[in-house]
Amino acid sequence: MKAETSALNVELPEVLREVPLTEGPVTPGSLDDQILGVTDRKPPRKWFLAIAFTSLLATLGFGFIGYTIYTGIGAWGNNSPVFWAFDIINFVFWVGIGHAGTLISAILFLFRMRWRNAIARFAEAMTIFAVMCAGLFPLIHVGRPWLAFWLFPYPNQRALWPNFRSPLLWDVFAVSTYFSVSAMFWYLGLLPDIASMRDRTENKWRKLAYTILALGWHGSGRHWQHYEKAYLLLAGLATGLVLSVHSVVSFDFATSVVPGWHMTIFPPYFVAGAIFAGFAMVVIVLVVVRESMNLTNLITQRHLEVMNKVILGMSCLMGYSYAMEGFTAWYSQNVYLHHTFLNIIGGTYGWAGWLTMACNIFVPQLLWFKKCRTSYFWMILVATSVTIGMWFERFVIIVISLHQDFLPSAWRLYKPTLVDFGILLGSFGLFFTLVLLFARVLPVIATTEVKGILPGAQPTHGGHHE
Amino acid sequence: MSDFAVLGLFDSADALMKAIPQVKAKKLGRLEAYTPYPIHGMDEALELRRSPLGGMVLAMGILGALTALGAQYWISAIDYPIVTGGKAPWSWEAFVPIMFEVMVAFATFTAGLGMLLLLNKLPFFGHPVLNAKAMRAITRDRFALALEADPELDAEAAKAALRAAGATDLEVLPFPEKGPFLTSDFILRSLGGIFVACAVAGIGMYWAIKLVPTLIPITHMLEQPKVNAYEGSTFFADGRAMLTPVPGTVARGYLPVAAATQEEAAGLANPLPRTPEVLALGKKAFTNRCAVCHGPLANGQGSLGAAYGAKPANLQAGQFQAGGDRPVPSGPLGPPQASGAASQAKPGPGSGFPPYPDGKIYWTIVHGKNAMPSQAADLTVDERWAVVHYVRALQRAQNAKDEDLP
Repeated sequence: MKAETSALNVELPEVLREVPLTEGPVTPGSLDDQILGVTDRKPPRKWFLAIAFTSLLATLGFGFIGYTIYTGIGAWGNNSPVFWAFDIINFVFWVGIGHAGTLISAILFLFRMRWRNAIARFAEAMTIFAVMCAGLFPLIHVGRPWLAFWLFPYPNQRALWPNFRSPLLWDVFAVSTYFSVSAMFWYLGLLPDIASMRDRTENKWRKLAYTILALGWHGSGRHWQHYEKAYLLLAGLATGLVLSVHSVVSFDFATSVVPGWHMTIFPPYFVAGAIFAGFAMVVIVLVVVRESMNLTNLITQRHLEVMNKVILGMSCLMGYSYAMEGFTAWYSQNVYLHHTFLNIIGGTYGWAGWLTMACNIFVPQLLWFKKCRTSYFWMILVATSVTIGMWFERFVIIVISLHQDFLPSAWRLYKPTLVDFGILLGSFGLFFTLVLLFARVLPVIATTEVKGILPGAQPTHGGHHE
Repeated sequence: MSDFAVLGLFDSADALMKAIPQVKAKKLGRLEAYTPYPIHGMDEALELRRSPLGGMVLAMGILGALTALGAQYWISAIDYPIVTGGKAPWSWEAFVPIMFEVMVAFATFTAGLGMLLLLNKLPFFGHPVLNAKAMRAITRDRFALALEADPELDAEAAKAALRAAGATDLEVLPFPEKGPFLTSDFILRSLGGIFVACAVAGIGMYWAIKLVPTLIPITHMLEQPKVNAYEGSTFFADGRAMLTPVPGTVARGYLPVAAATQEEAAGLANPLPRTPEVLALGKKAFTNRCAVCHGPLANGQGSLGAAYGAKPANLQAGQFQAGGDRPVPSGPLGPPQASGAASQAKPGPGSGFPPYPDGKIYWTIVHGKNAMPSQAADLTVDERWAVVHYVRALQRAQNAKDEDLP
């Protein structure tokens, strides 16, 4: 690989040459010391401050969840006709955040985008934590979460079965499959890294934990052969899965007859939105991690720039989707659809519609400029704006469509309560607490994968590799 | 006993790959490489068979999809068919999303766990190379080539071969020592541990099952702002939870009987005509409320009486006949004949008993008699009179004459 690349570099003009994936001298050994060594050192004070803050938020959120379970769903602002509100908004929001991780780890893997190796691990971890946050909301929305197992089809003394024509049941299958598959994908990726940690740590207890978690991995050629095959298959399957999961989430809406929900564009529109929101969250967390953990040589400026390009592309797709929503409303000549669309741009919640469009379409256009794609200030600004915008997009879809549907006598405005906001904040607290814990106990960069793409990592003879 | 393997370390993937054919040519044992990351071309160099994982995943994926389709079809179309959204119970299109998810779940778990458990035989913590001094370097940045016993290994020749191929830090790995594992002491201690664990888990489960359902909010809405039976209430001055109805209040369909005693009730006439509908209503009410004691033929041979030794009245007995102990007069079904003073007035010839008028049966249904409780709360006025008709029909059926035949 090295020989081919260097041979090509001589002939190719400057702009076409392959950019190195890391900066400065990086060897497999230095990589281990930099990434895996983190767990051997005491966390800095700012880490403790950060986790104190986020776990406080999480505790607050769980307090509100406990209050909700004790008193009932009446603690929230949901009421007829807006039966779905913050809970489902947050669910769709968090599931969407998770999709970026699978996209980076699976789809970019299939496309042989080797720059993904440095950020895949972190993005996958974010997927798992985001899906955990997402799963929380339907669970508490059922009101009696200890009976949530009724959602699964199992033979029971009531001789009842769930309704397999309900998209809500499809959701149960999609999200639980997504979570378990993501968790397995992540763990298999971690396996060789945990083996490295097992072999380098001196601490007795940590060695025991890593020994058990590494399952006796010893990197034999035969194991690597099956491992690589499994990883490739998992990536292919996860690609289909990630596209299906948000499509199924969108079916929750699209298969209903509510004006503003009943649209065929919903599945691709939701998938694009999910990747969009997820990449924004990855950028935010990656910038913090890159600076606070001194990873600038591994997560390079180029990573951030490529991610910002993806955000820009997705922003344009979102713009197209919003335009199509308006076009569908006009072209359908359906008064109910007209009314819903006018509500988005001019109703009581019209501000939310315009906030969505501003945050998701107008602000990300800044990323056309290279300066904005490479400056922390601008990329954080855009990513924050996208995160806010995507949350409000779900607010627009759910609350605006529900609060005024076919029957004017049933119209009512929706107003969230303190508990709604508390649980939303709590989910952010839970997410960042898990991210912070992960950053201290497991390798934030897939060292094994990065070792394999360092210059000189692969043999020069043979000449038949990609 | 010979050694398990001889391990030689290389500093780069390049050096390792160059050494493999050299060492392989000497045919000293099984060749294996231990590397920190997968190396391109290693499969060919070690002449490994193609991984069978792809086929396994394909087969399990198809199995998953078929399982999901079959389960959904059986549940939705056969075991619990419910029409939803106007779709036929067997319409399969709605099963596709779950089919896809289950297919992916089967396939991914086959890929992941099949690779780990079946092909790589992990978790396994006893592999000799895990105890090698070189292990630390192998998972970090160096590359090991091992000549492993197959089944015997000439350690010196292997060392020489590896050194000749450029390996440094040669290491001989002995077979791991197998200590006595299944000693009786160990078995006893294990069984004791399992017993204690089961006991603790059992006691814990017992209390969990007893206690958890009593905890608010898991009590399934037992706690409600309403007054339960025998609970005091401060809502009304008299401590009741509900206002008593105004005197003289009558529930719909439950008119009280105008007669205070059974003798007075003898004068009541059955207001219902004797039509097939009325008899059907009477049959249904009789079967539901009466037959369990009086028997389906009203002869006192009900299943409850047989089981508990009670003696319900035999309504076929002479004393209950409309015309005394003689059979019901023959003739076509006409207007109700056992009504009021008329039938009471003329006792049948040769009877020991006076005729038993309809009103008395009605009164008994309302008030109960001896051990029989009142049925008033369960039968409406019409149902009670229909039962009376039906009882009469049963009596006639049990005492039929030749003329009754059509």
